[in-house]
Amino acid sequence: MAVIATRTTREGLRKLPTTARPILDAADVLVPEGYAVEPVLAGLSFPCGMGFADDGSLFLLEGGSTWPTRPYMPARILRLDTASGGVSEVGVEVLGGPRGVSYRDGAIYVTVKGGYHAHVDKYDLKTNARTTIVDGLPSGGWHEPSDPMFGPDGLLYFGNGSVSQNGVSLPQGFTVDLAKHPEACDVPGQDVTLTGNNVWSRNPTTPFPFLTETGPFKPFGQRAQKGEVIRGRLKCSSGLWRCHPDGSGLELLAWGLRNPYGLAFSEAGELYATDNDYEEKGERAIAEDPDRIWHIRNAKSAHGSVRTPDWYGFPDLCGDGVPAWDETRRPRKGKPAEPLIADRPAWAGPAAFLEKPHTCECHMDFCRSDAFGHRGHVFLSQFGTYAPLNTPDPAALDRGFCVKRIDLATGENEPFVRNRQPGPASHHPGSGGIERPVDCKFHPDGRSLYVLDFGVTVVAPTHVVAYARTGALWRVTKL
Amino acid sequence: MATDLAAAPILLELDDATWSKQIDRAAAWLGDALTVQEKFRKLAEDTAASLKEPHIKKYIQDIARHAAAHEELVRGLARAIGREPSGGRSLAGSVLAKGAELVADVVGLAGGARGNWKDLRQLLLASQDAMGAFAIAEQLGYALGLPKLSDPAFRAAAEKTRDHLVIQEFVLEMAPASILLHQDA
Repeated sequence: MAVIATRTTREGLRKLPTTARPILDAADVLVPEGYAVEPVLAGLSFPCGMGFADDGSLFLLEGGSTWPTRPYMPARILRLDTASGGVSEVGVEVLGGPRGVSYRDGAIYVTVKGGYHAHVDKYDLKTNARTTIVDGLPSGGWHEPSDPMFGPDGLLYFGNGSVSQNGVSLPQGFTVDLAKHPEACDVPGQDVTLTGNNVWSRNPTTPFPFLTETGPFKPFGQRAQKGEVIRGRLKCSSGLWRCHPDGSGLELLAWGLRNPYGLAFSEAGELYATDNDYEEKGERAIAEDPDRIWHIRNAKSAHGSVRTPDWYGFPDLCGDGVPAWDETRRPRKGKPAEPLIADRPAWAGPAAFLEKPHTCECHMDFCRSDAFGHRGHVFLSQFGTYAPLNTPDPAALDRGFCVKRIDLATGENEPFVRNRQPGPASHHPGSGGIERPVDCKFHPDGRSLYVLDFGVTVVAPTHVVAYARTGALWRVTKL
Repeated sequence: MATDLAAAPILLELDDATWSKQIDRAAAWLGDALTVQEKFRKLAEDTAASLKEPHIKKYIQDIARHAAAHEELVRGLARAIGREPSGGRSLAGSVLAKGAELVADVVGLAGGARGNWKDLRQLLLASQDAMGAFAIAEQLGYALGLPKLSDPAFRAAAEKTRDHLVIQEFVLEMAPASILLHQDA
């Protein structure tokens, strides 16, 4: 369908009809001295990811959501010509929507959350024809697939998050997920033996929500037995794979990555993945789990040589390797966790970078340009907390909501793009700053960093809602 | 030709013409919601008047009072998005309520039910419709980026959900008395 894109002025951005976000104003956004930030585009609906082609075309993915997954807004893949300002539609994805995109040789590769299964699609940009190259990745629950990223070896790398929030399919994943996908559950990437610990919860899908028991790697309402072995599968949840661009040669490199939403290769060819903490709520609640960036060591191995994937801790270890049932991880809200896996694999940590819990790490990109500065550093979008919904910790209320610059070699880091006042702009009436950065990518010209802003999400202790048409695109340029 | 995107930012489907058209469509839905809600309120009032069991009567009277407030709220939602609530809907709501009561009698008789339980059952169906109408208005608010539409609709939909559970409970509780014993509720 035709996309209706019109030009406005900076003044026009101060009287937007979307009262959830009536103003976009760069004056409310801070960037380091020597850089300038500008709003480029307003009106996106639940944008979740973006990627550049070599010619400067920027592919923008709409159609994400909050939980419950409503309302559906068309899960469009848009192409923005950053030279002319033209906007066109490349395709529309299925329910669940697209999450990450990469360009290669006249095509884009798009990861899609989907329904019961996440998948990877390829779009031929001459015809806009779509081909699904990888399908059947366990989904239908909480987390989503990552960016698809091409490595220096020409292979396509991508991840897929956990189905459950905290290791067991529970109503904390909201009733509609249990109703739509009653069979959804996590799948391990290698054989695991269960401890037999199960979790009691109410069953909201029945006329009366009586208590029921659920085990790990099981659909809601199914118990685990002590000593039970769950077979690992190539197409697991919480996994990270690589394959040829046509989807063949699929190889599992890692699993136990709870929410590997952002992938990026450094100039040295090392692969990194973002990951997010457990929730401090519900029937298996875990506190003080740091957000993190993992180094995916197996990406350096020869294709086809990985016999056993590395394990990064989900569903039993936190980002710093501390067990989820440790005294330091006892929740202030919800029931404490118990061990789920009796024969835990060796941990592939420590993480390359640890961040405070509930900053919500999303997509990232390495700077490869001396013109922009900070070459070799990673720029990370921090969506921002879901507190007080996912933790009662008042200190978490304004975490995230920025783009962070990180030197992974030293750990030195700073908020590179942030609001003048902490938290999202909507916490401060009259502010026209950023809401929730979900992606940041460098333009191929090496002079500017584009920041994708999901838009307004309102979080209450009991629920979360998001407003369509409040997503925006910003640009940070070196002066 | 290269363009300075920052100097002339892009609006995606937020231009006046596109926006106004979609607000008109949202207002049309609110008109339907008003009709559905009027039908539900009238049915609730009539059902409460016909009930004899004092507890159920009180609950349904409360629900009828909530329904009157929700009806007024729909009119407020239309005004909040800059449109006048549709005129001439009240009569339609009353006519639909009367029609539903007639249908209740026909369906109830065919199923062997007797007494005012049939009205309670018809009220349950109307409640589902009205509850959905508010939940949809809430979704339109999210889709348009308008908390002034979504927030009140969310609160009303939550209250209507609780009321719906109460109506459903009485329909189930009293069904055997009506169908097997041919007694009034």
